[in-house]
Amino acid sequence: MEKIFKPGLSPKEIVQRVRTLDGVAITLTGMRDAGQSDFKNRHRIYDLKTLSPFYEDMNLFSSECHGGARWHVGIMNRKEDPFEEIRLLRELMPSVMLQTLIRETNLWGYRPYPKNVIEYVVSAVDIDVWRCFSFLNDIRNMKTVAEVVMKRGRLFQPAISFTQSHWTTNEYYLGVVDDIVDLCAGVNEIVLCIKDMAGVGSPERIRSLVDAIKQKYPELMIQYHRHATDGLALPALLSAAKAGAKILDAEEDSLTRFYGQAPILSLQAYLEESGIKALLNREITEKATEKVREWIGHYEWCESPFKGFDHNVTKHKMPGGAFPSSFEQAEKGGFLHLMPAILRVMSLYNQIVKYFDVTPGSQITWVTCSGIINKYSKAKGEAGVNHVIKLLDKLVEKNNCDFHKMENDEQEELLTLFRNAPGDFKNLILGNYGKLPMGWPDEWVYKSTFGEEWPDKLKERKELSPLDTIKPDDLNKHKEEFEEKTGRKPTEEEFILYLMHPKDAVEFVNFRDEFGETPLVLPTNVWREGLKMPGDKVEFDLWGKPYCIELVSVGSEHEGHIYVVVKVNNSAKVYTIATPRAKKAEIKMAKGANQIGSPINGTIWRIGNPARGSIKAGDIVQKGEEIANIEAMKMENAIVAPFDAVISDVIIKVNDPVQEKQLLFELKPL
Amino acid sequence: MAEIKKILIANRGVPAVRVMHTCRDRKIPTVAVYSTPDRLSHHVFVAESAVHIGEAPPIESYLNMEKIINAALQTNCNAIHPGWGFLAENAKFARMVEDAGLIWVGPPPNVISLMGDKIESKKCAIRANVPTIPGTNNVMSVDDIKKWMKDENIDFPVMIKASAGGGGKGMAKVSSDDELSILFAQVKSEAMKSFKDDTVLVEKYIEKGRHIEVQIVADKFGHVLHLYERECTLQRRNQKIIEEAPSPSLTDDLRGEICFTAVRIMREIGYHSAGTVEFIFDSQKSKFYFLEVNTRLQVEHGITELITGLDIVNMMLDLAEDKPLDLRQSDIHPNRWALEVRLNAEDPKNFSPSFGTISRLQIPQGPGVRIAQSIYEGCQIPPYYDSLLMLIMTAGADRDDAIRTMDRVLSRNLRVEGVKTLLPLLLSIIRHKDFKSGNFSTKFIEEHLDELVATFKENTPDDEILKIAKHVAKISALGPQEWM
Repeated sequence: MEKIFKPGLSPKEIVQRVRTLDGVAITLTGMRDAGQSDFKNRHRIYDLKTLSPFYEDMNLFSSECHGGARWHVGIMNRKEDPFEEIRLLRELMPSVMLQTLIRETNLWGYRPYPKNVIEYVVSAVDIDVWRCFSFLNDIRNMKTVAEVVMKRGRLFQPAISFTQSHWTTNEYYLGVVDDIVDLCAGVNEIVLCIKDMAGVGSPERIRSLVDAIKQKYPELMIQYHRHATDGLALPALLSAAKAGAKILDAEEDSLTRFYGQAPILSLQAYLEESGIKALLNREITEKATEKVREWIGHYEWCESPFKGFDHNVTKHKMPGGAFPSSFEQAEKGGFLHLMPAILRVMSLYNQIVKYFDVTPGSQITWVTCSGIINKYSKAKGEAGVNHVIKLLDKLVEKNNCDFHKMENDEQEELLTLFRNAPGDFKNLILGNYGKLPMGWPDEWVYKSTFGEEWPDKLKERKELSPLDTIKPDDLNKHKEEFEEKTGRKPTEEEFILYLMHPKDAVEFVNFRDEFGETPLVLPTNVWREGLKMPGDKVEFDLWGKPYCIELVSVGSEHEGHIYVVVKVNNSAKVYTIATPRAKKAEIKMAKGANQIGSPINGTIWRIGNPARGSIKAGDIVQKGEEIANIEAMKMENAIVAPFDAVISDVIIKVNDPVQEKQLLFELKPL
Repeated sequence: MAEIKKILIANRGVPAVRVMHTCRDRKIPTVAVYSTPDRLSHHVFVAESAVHIGEAPPIESYLNMEKIINAALQTNCNAIHPGWGFLAENAKFARMVEDAGLIWVGPPPNVISLMGDKIESKKCAIRANVPTIPGTNNVMSVDDIKKWMKDENIDFPVMIKASAGGGGKGMAKVSSDDELSILFAQVKSEAMKSFKDDTVLVEKYIEKGRHIEVQIVADKFGHVLHLYERECTLQRRNQKIIEEAPSPSLTDDLRGEICFTAVRIMREIGYHSAGTVEFIFDSQKSKFYFLEVNTRLQVEHGITELITGLDIVNMMLDLAEDKPLDLRQSDIHPNRWALEVRLNAEDPKNFSPSFGTISRLQIPQGPGVRIAQSIYEGCQIPPYYDSLLMLIMTAGADRDDAIRTMDRVLSRNLRVEGVKTLLPLLLSIIRHKDFKSGNFSTKFIEEHLDELVATFKENTPDDEILKIAKHVAKISALGPQEWM
């Protein structure tokens, strides 16, 4: 059967096909947002790829399988490379359009990137559908991503960040859509996404919004992305479809918990009953749903500790994608019991500083609000927590955010509320991310954040998009830095990982150099827990050949080391595993001109030289004088003083084996 | 006639094992010697018995002449074979062996000492009417060099060498007038430091020279035979790493000429036992020049054995027993092409030595392969000695055939884990188009190193699986990790 939506279509053709579609098409989020919202993005490509053969025949609009936090968690926690994932999925489901989620100037990282980085990165990623959002709905920030994607002939899907509150009116959103239509030169080559990332849009509110947009732009195709947190996903999706949305997001029923998308089979049945056709092969979708059950049990450990729908999300607005990670942080930080208070503060805070709670905004909200509660809790316990909630409640609810209506002592307290806010909060209110959707916060917020410096800071505040203010990065310099940190030349793809997450990319590259394709071939239980009992084995194919790894024994710990014996295809192999208690025999490497390193691997057989004998710290040596000799494979290698100097330290002893570049002497020039 | 009843092999590693194999064929009991770190080395266990001769530094063990001779006497040996390296070309040691009443399996001590002196050996070559590189011995000053160059009409570059030198020490290539006085002084001082003799000579430098050597065997009765030539042009830091026989650069006429020239010089100096005459071959001008005589068994003798079907160590033992050669030159018919690579424990990118424990060893077999090794799975590679792990030789009907077999051996089923080896470099070289076409010089590796490194083969699944097994071992021991 000829696929309606497939890679290789021009954006115009895609839009045309959506327009003429009888009913709605579905974007399946099973490979990205489903996992992000309920399983901390830990779903491994090893398991997800088992769904690909089904996706291939399901008749999807697209598979959202890339971007958002999946990229970062991939390199940090799963040790998977997003480029590798795309290649694998292309091979396994060649006729499915692959979709990403990208954060305008932040791309898949957490800082605003300059134009040259955006161009470089977006050009290198093989994705068909580019959903791009701004947590400020500052459409100016999307410009570079839009240009590159559209120039490449891929579908650009600008998203409006949606929330439901008194200030996010249809009029406001129509203004945002106007900006989008301007940016994209019309409505014929884009699909507009309404991104309801927290799952807060009531059915009526969504109907009204879709309807308003359709009235103004009848030819604009709309996709509704919605989380299920408030428990009202299905009716809201139906009302969006009835109002004219042509593409809806859903996930496999067996993946659904509370904070991801709606269950796809339920959605299909509900739509059909209401007389709206869903472009979907139900039978194969059922099989995919069944397939999930084979492996989803391995991921119980990463489900959110906070379970159940939460209609109060309409107040605190925590996005589905941030739910599991926030609760995880609270659990690790030992303040899980403060979560209700934090959520309450969030629902008040978001009326003081108005933007959308989605990355990076959701992180700013989270860190700021959890910081405030933790501070009060530490200082005055439960009474302190109740006190600050009462204070904010009075400001927001009773006094309608009017600072001047507060009592003097309350004002004073508010003026220190944000003093410990994170740097990103400061960047936000200084305009470093772009314009805030409802304008800058009140003056007292600046006083509270910056103290006496506030007037100066206010002068720094930017009205321009970061795209217009950030200077281009020196890519070669970044590349050299990366090379220095890993000790080898990175591939272009590794370099892009580094541009997004410098520290984690270095660890990722080191991990993969050491452990190779482990993340791709091991079943999830073995990947995470290893083999349990002697005789347990894991079998898999690697590069076309069968392999078997069998556990023989795990020794007991001795001086921080455990000897593990495994059989690899029946040959025994011993690994010495350092436990966290292992003492690191640290070998210092020579750095800079005053540190003398070994030119080769070898053995120090003489310190000093025959003419003067041994050399010790404090001795004076002359330029060119031999200060040690290293023997390696019968060859002698003289180490000479590079300049006249005092020996300030002798690091090695005679007969020490040394590595190339290992520090031997420290000198002080005369 | 003296019969070898029991023999001590004054060596370790590959040469010791090689000699022991032939001794075992002849049922001659062997005694190994070992230094402290070599206590569990392979050669110790190939021998019938073994004697500890000292600590790790060679000077205390494998170069300790008295201890070695005492070991031979104590174990009732009546012969010593020195292998190659260590004491193999040490005339003093050869003399001490003979003075102790033992059979020295090698050439006469006076020949060793004569050939150890570059100036003297060159004089012998000239007496035997053997072409030598234009040069002058009597070099006292820079002016001497300049005068010689003018008189003989020689252009730069020239080579200044320490007369007593060897192993790449005390040598400098001079490309222009400006460098002459600095380098002259440098070689002289290095020569003094290294060899306690600052006599130097100067020679014309042969650009893009190729290194060709002729294997000789000679008995005490004036019979001198050649076993044809080997080409040893591929070197890194003046150390050979790939050799082949026959040489791809010679025509049959030149081959005949070079082989008989070698016989002539060996007869002139009264050589007996096995030895090698080295030449530098100027392939552009089709001219060869005498370089030196190696008065010992060579590392690469195995490829001559492969093409001739002879056992050179066996012949050395016969000759040491004062037997006459029972072959005539016309009996020797090479009918194969053989290739040898030296698998050293070195980083293939920068030749930095690598040592440690051999955690896995798989030795490739199959048609046309000969392996000489001195390692086993689990053995230690100590840092004190040379880095040769294994000699891999292949033979075929012609050069392409031998190269194909070598490619198979190096790219399938040869596994050495635990230390770095030259394997990737060796494979890149034998796959290089210039190597395949026979178009290379002694500078080939330095000239092409970046290109060769760039074509190092990617990892194999056998490498990759070990990384996966490591993760399984780690997580089995430690459980789920924080970062997951």
